[in-house]
Amino acid sequence: MDDQELIRQVQKGDEVAFGKIVSAYKDRIVNYLYQFTGDYQKAVELSQETFLRVYFKAGQYKPVAPLSSWIYAIASNLAKTEMKKSRKLAAVSLDDIAAHDLRQNVHVEDPADSGLIKNLREALDALHPRYRIPVVLKDIEGFSQEEIAQILKKPVGTIKARISRGRSFLKRRLERALAGGTYAARA
Amino acid sequence: MNDWEILKRLDMVKAPPDFEQTVMARLSLRKREERRKRMILRWSMAGSFASLAAVFILLNIFVFEGRSPSGLAEKERDAASASSILPAAEERTIPIIETLDYRTEIRSRSSDPEAIFLLEQISDTTSGEIRY
Repeated sequence: MDDQELIRQVQKGDEVAFGKIVSAYKDRIVNYLYQFTGDYQKAVELSQETFLRVYFKAGQYKPVAPLSSWIYAIASNLAKTEMKKSRKLAAVSLDDIAAHDLRQNVHVEDPADSGLIKNLREALDALHPRYRIPVVLKDIEGFSQEEIAQILKKPVGTIKARISRGRSFLKRRLERALAGGTYAARA
Repeated sequence: MNDWEILKRLDMVKAPPDFEQTVMARLSLRKREERRKRMILRWSMAGSFASLAAVFILLNIFVFEGRSPSGLAEKERDAASASSILPAAEERTIPIIETLDYRTEIRSRSSDPEAIFLLEQISDTTSGEIRY
């Protein structure tokens, strides 16, 4: 059963079809929101909320865009709202700091070439979310620029510019790290 | 090969093992909440419509009923019947009779010898009294 058929079933209230959608997208969405927020617990919570919204707002889905884009758009909106809320609090809790420190240890899949990956991770973390999210969607999640524009509700030109600027920032940062050692890049 | 493929080698996090169960549990909880909210909304809507209807009915009975056209007509009819039962004696007529002296009329025209005034009664009815 493809995504369109599944979402049609969900629109009729089929929980089994909904469960299949959750199974298919849970890792991608959790990973995406983890890249977005930098907090694993928050990412899991937001992912659960994303899927609940998928179920309750299934009737609003129009098959003009792929289901994946729609789910990512919901996740992005939730994450943006969450980040705005956190910014309003204007304080960093100890939990956040702990989560950030634990970041390297959460579900690491590929420990090979850890030096480069670590540098890349640090460079990506240092990137502003405005540039990080399009880069993550393009280079990690594999969406096209048009799809990213749909997900983030921005013009394609803006997305192109943000990806380009994000990549050049990452490149500069990695070059500095490679030239001056792993931790020199942080200085 | 795209240089940025390297990003795909970044640490990928996975959903926790109980993710689906948690989502399904939250779903049933949320459904129950939604049902309760819908029920509350339905009852409150019904309640507000019922109270609106009650207010409308009460206004109709106690306020608009007295001002209705049929009510006014009834009042007019009542007033008319009340005036008709007044005694006839209470209708008062004041007769005023003005006398006319035709001699002065003739005298004023007497200088004109050719003028002949014929004064005759042109109506069989007697002169009516002027009523005030």
